[in-house]
Amino acid sequence: MSQSPKSREKCEISFTVNGKLETVHVHAMERLLDVLRHELGLTGTKEGCGEGECGSCSVLIDGMLVNSCLIPVLQANGTKIVTIEGLAADGRLQILQQAFLDCGGAQCGICTPGMILASLHLLEKKPQPTLEEIREGLSGNLCRCTGYMQIFDAVAEAARRGATA
Amino acid sequence: MRALPTEYELVAPRTLPDVLSLLAHEPGAWLPIAGGTDVMVQYSAGKLAARKLVSIWNLPELRSLEVMADEIQIGAGCTYTDLRAHEVILRELSLLSSSASWTGGIANQNRGTIGGNIVNASPAADSLPALMVYGAELLLVSARGERRVPYASFHISYRKTQLAPDELIRAICLKRQFSGYYAHARKVGARNAQAISKVCHAALGLLTDGVVDDIRLAMGSVAPVPIRLSETERIIRGRSIDPQLIRLARAAAAAEIRPIDDIRSTSRYRAAVAANLVGEFLEQLSVHGARSENSQKVLARWNGLQSDKAAEEILPCCGSKAWARGMTTRRPVLNEEALLAACDEVWRNLPESDWLEAYRSHPRIGDSHTPASAPVQSAAWSSAEQQKVRAAGEDVKAALAAGNREYEQKFNRIFIVCATGKSAPQILAILRRRLQNDEKTELHEAAEQQRQIAHLRLKKWLSS
Repeated sequence: MSQSPKSREKCEISFTVNGKLETVHVHAMERLLDVLRHELGLTGTKEGCGEGECGSCSVLIDGMLVNSCLIPVLQANGTKIVTIEGLAADGRLQILQQAFLDCGGAQCGICTPGMILASLHLLEKKPQPTLEEIREGLSGNLCRCTGYMQIFDAVAEAARRGATA
Repeated sequence: MRALPTEYELVAPRTLPDVLSLLAHEPGAWLPIAGGTDVMVQYSAGKLAARKLVSIWNLPELRSLEVMADEIQIGAGCTYTDLRAHEVILRELSLLSSSASWTGGIANQNRGTIGGNIVNASPAADSLPALMVYGAELLLVSARGERRVPYASFHISYRKTQLAPDELIRAICLKRQFSGYYAHARKVGARNAQAISKVCHAALGLLTDGVVDDIRLAMGSVAPVPIRLSETERIIRGRSIDPQLIRLARAAAAAEIRPIDDIRSTSRYRAAVAANLVGEFLEQLSVHGARSENSQKVLARWNGLQSDKAAEEILPCCGSKAWARGMTTRRPVLNEEALLAACDEVWRNLPESDWLEAYRSHPRIGDSHTPASAPVQSAAWSSAEQQKVRAAGEDVKAALAAGNREYEQKFNRIFIVCATGKSAPQILAILRRRLQNDEKTELHEAAEQQRQIAHLRLKKWLSS
């Protein structure tokens, strides 16, 4: 992390987003969420509550699940970020994304990118989670459509299909 | 109203001395921000008074977790995830691990720090009662030097602390002296994750010869600051737990707290819950405490035995001689938790041949003939473990026998499953699933089952 002596001026921030090195000129206190959406055009990351309660803005920073609405962009300098846009490759959905579709785990879609990143974070630590572990892993992500059951099914199905293998 | 980033300054010095010199230069002007789980919420809502922020996130000097002979020093910048992942904390300071597990969701646990939680000084913060009962001390650091203060006196009044404007918390110090204690934490809220507690509770108790030798009760969300229930503790200490003591303690707890009505709950409800939590803890303490007293007697005797006698006594819990010898080298073992942790570590590190020896000490599932070489105690335990299987119908028993034969042909050893509490049809389903495993997966699955069997047997041994 670097010193930014004139922080009310814009500062230069570099990080790797979905494998690609990006450099932006922004204010140090801008939220990572806004920089991803407005500077980089990565609008898959959603804003729900804006106070770390709903998980819609979840991304991975250096492999850790975080709420991007609570991260001043200066704290993301030099990190590796994964957003929902980084999952599908060569026109093919990642296993978790396909499982969410197959199990009806997505409806209006606002929570889905966060749900999928929280699920990915869980499966990377616990490739074969119990239902209790799935519920805990997603406890910071709110969904107002599905009633959660289809989402839990989708994560269990993705685990069976080897989502992080 | 949303905050404008242009109105704020944020700097991120690379080292702790750089941060401290900034704070010393303009005391009170800079607001430290670590994981941002509190500060950024105020910022986004346009309610953050400070205009100059200094990032202390991930400073190496604040992120270390040091285990010393008699003390654990947790860097103030350690996250809840760091706390939950730490084995010594899980074993010796379990109230911290459990309260960390219901603070926020996973994303907030990855960013929220223990130091930030203390300085934010919410009376409802879930991990603060745990720090109170463990008698934590805080290491405060500034450019002027370092001082150590008891956490119990850190909170002065609602959201006011002893922290000087140029100071940071560097570390939280906890003594390693709670091995024989029964520990219990509970959060009462709308849900565990993300919801702020109506009441949160942490408690430690030590029984000696049926008398409460030490008791420490703390609660959050029932006063302007997290509090110890000193008056309730005074009533309980030195007494044996009976219905009359529980009645007195419940009344004392309800009288001692100073709850308010707010959006989450009412003062009446909080007082009722506080009384219930103290009552619940005392009931559990009397059961667990008596059990742990007995365990300690068994362990004290076992710790004093000659190695070969000690190995012989513990062998039926597992069946592997190398495991039994390994366990004796872990002595003195002071309590059940340490015993189970030693069991896992010794078991995990054994070569395959010793695992196979343990498997051979069991009878087949559904078969009453324990191998002749197995100790008498092992045979008695096996019989009790397979109680439900014996009650099964003949068709299920026949299917199990066929499954056993198929398993033995495929893997060249007997099928091991932790049978306690499982019915014959459940075991049959597990057997059929595991027949699909490859050799390596199955060897480890059997080892996990054997580990569970050993835990149950060790607990039986401790209560003997």
